Amino acid sequence: MTRIQSRVTALMAVVILLPSLYGFAGKFLEFVHIYRSGGGGEFAVAPILNYLLASAGFFCMLLWAAWNGMFRDMERPKNEFLDNESRLDAGVRAPLFRSHP
Amino acid sequence: MTHGASPTDRAAALPTHDDLVDERIVICYYVAALSFLTISMIAGLLMALQLVHWYPFKGVELLSPGRWRMIHTNAIAYGFLANAFLGTLHWAVPRLTFHTVASRALSWFIFVAWQAIVLATAVGIVVGPTLQDRPWLLAAAKAWHLPMSLGAQGLEWGETPFWIDPVALVGLALVAVNFMVPIGRSRGPMYVSLWYFMAAFVWTFLTYAMGNLLPEYRVAGTSAGAIGGLFIHDLVGLFVTPLGWGLMYYFVPILLKKPIWSHGLSLVGFWGLAFFYPLQGIHHFLYTPIPMFLQYGAVISTIAVELVVATVVINFFGTLSGRGQAFFDNLPVRYFYTGMVFYFITCFQCALQVTLTFQKLIHFTDWVVGHAHLVMFGVFSLWLFGIMTYLFPRLLGRPWWSRSLCEYHYWLSAGGLAVMFLDLTLAGVFQGYYWASLQPWDVSTNGSQPFWITRVFAGLAMFAGLICFLVNLWMTARGAEATDPLPARAAGTPAA
Ligand code: HEM
Repeated sequence: MTRIQSRVTALMAVVILLPSLYGFAGKFLEFVHIYRSGGGGEFAVAPILNYLLASAGFFCMLLWAAWNGMFRDMERPKNEFLDNESRLDAGVRAPLFRSHP
Repeated sequence: MTHGASPTDRAAALPTHDDLVDERIVICYYVAALSFLTISMIAGLLMALQLVHWYPFKGVELLSPGRWRMIHTNAIAYGFLANAFLGTLHWAVPRLTFHTVASRALSWFIFVAWQAIVLATAVGIVVGPTLQDRPWLLAAAKAWHLPMSLGAQGLEWGETPFWIDPVALVGLALVAVNFMVPIGRSRGPMYVSLWYFMAAFVWTFLTYAMGNLLPEYRVAGTSAGAIGGLFIHDLVGLFVTPLGWGLMYYFVPILLKKPIWSHGLSLVGFWGLAFFYPLQGIHHFLYTPIPMFLQYGAVISTIAVELVVATVVINFFGTLSGRGQAFFDNLPVRYFYTGMVFYFITCFQCALQVTLTFQKLIHFTDWVVGHAHLVMFGVFSLWLFGIMTYLFPRLLGRPWWSRSLCEYHYWLSAGGLAVMFLDLTLAGVFQGYYWASLQPWDVSTNGSQPFWITRVFAGLAMFAGLICFLVNLWMTARGAEATDPLPARAAGTPAA
């Protein structure tokens, strides 16, 4: 990964994660307060649970992926994939149109 | 995907394309997809004619526009998009993983079962309401405590009759198993497409179960509304989007002969989608009795998704840089990047739509219908057309019969859609102001007529594009004249 790429990646991660975490934490606290005060928070539990369950699954998957080195050499898969594709297509000639270059 | 031994041994040991891909099933899925697309577009045209009072089948119960509107949306989602995606996955997943699907027999079983499910859904929607007040059916419903009528379920996008839901779920589970096995067998860091595919298999199953079963059997009232909101949006974001993006990450580098700009950034996009998408569906129900903190939560997660989308768009345009000419020369690439421009516009719209101020104006108007067509047709259908344009010559072993018809297909589709989108967006703004000024309802529907008439013609253009594609495909498949049959696997240049 070039330096500019890693910087853009890090910047996007921060720009996305920080405000979102802030927003979610705030709203989650609000939810807990409403739920405790019995002001109708109960019937919102279904979507919240839904979200938490889905996210918990993905969080586990994220940990599993990191543990298994999926993010160690992050740019490798994109080159490997193209190499594999050209190997699979070696000798294939399938122009889209007769006039195709 | 790690393989011991020396590179030469490894290359010799690796399976070939023919070992991996069953091309017949890809063709069958595409034929099914295009058939359902044709039906869906005819249904869309019928509904469009109804709105301008030109409905040709007035009084024919089985052709009543309300039922055919549901055919329009369901045939698109489950008939066209699902079939086209499944066909393409049968090409991409084995090639990405170097493993065949779990079972080819299972693939064929799923293919047949899925067509039966989609057809049964259509029959349920069209015939169900006619049958449902027959005495024998009422008696059966009473005896077996059937929760709903034979016909459509009263859930947006979940209209599949209740008796089909469990079968559809089994079908989705089998799809997941069939593709997860090769993905599970692959080794080493995964390419981003596989992350997207894997997530889509899990999400689609869960989303379908949540959206169809919970409101039907467990929750009611506002909670059911909240679930419905999650369902309709998750269907777009967790079924169609990950498959669409996954396939773009697969096909764009192949066609541009260049790796994606940043794989790291693509993974940020993937994990961002995973964490922020699931909560945003409630943004469809702003100003409803759903608690405000949930509505705000949805607004915030939508903003987060906007940033995620920006990463994806940056990545693809970064990849195009230096290869811009391909946009003009290479038709599939043009389809892909046109779809991406439309995607960017869709997301830009989302950024506006998600604000409460904006919702006041456009909620329930044709703005939303324009938005739906932009994303479903302008983005995902154009991508699938691009993929089909690229793959059919390989699948059929000969180039397209006519380049002009391919070009017409592109221009009529993209142009028709652009007109339809602009037209409906404007209609939405007019309707919003009519309603806000508290004029009688008729004033708004009368005022919408010019827009609705324009929509009919835009739809006809899109349909004409499809006909060009179908004619071209038919002639290509027949091997008519045009083929100076270039052997599909002769030595020479790779596919372009
Ligand atoms: C021949 C071209 C088409 C025409 C004339 C057409 C027309 C229509 C009409 C009249 C509606 C109902 C709008 C309403 O209830 O007010 C509709 C809804 C819809 N159509 Fe189409 N359509 C066409 C093609 C497509 C295609 C190809 C797709 C997807 C790939 C699509 C996706 C949708 C969706 C998602 C909705 C639901 C919108 C909503 O409920 O907000 N349409 N269409």
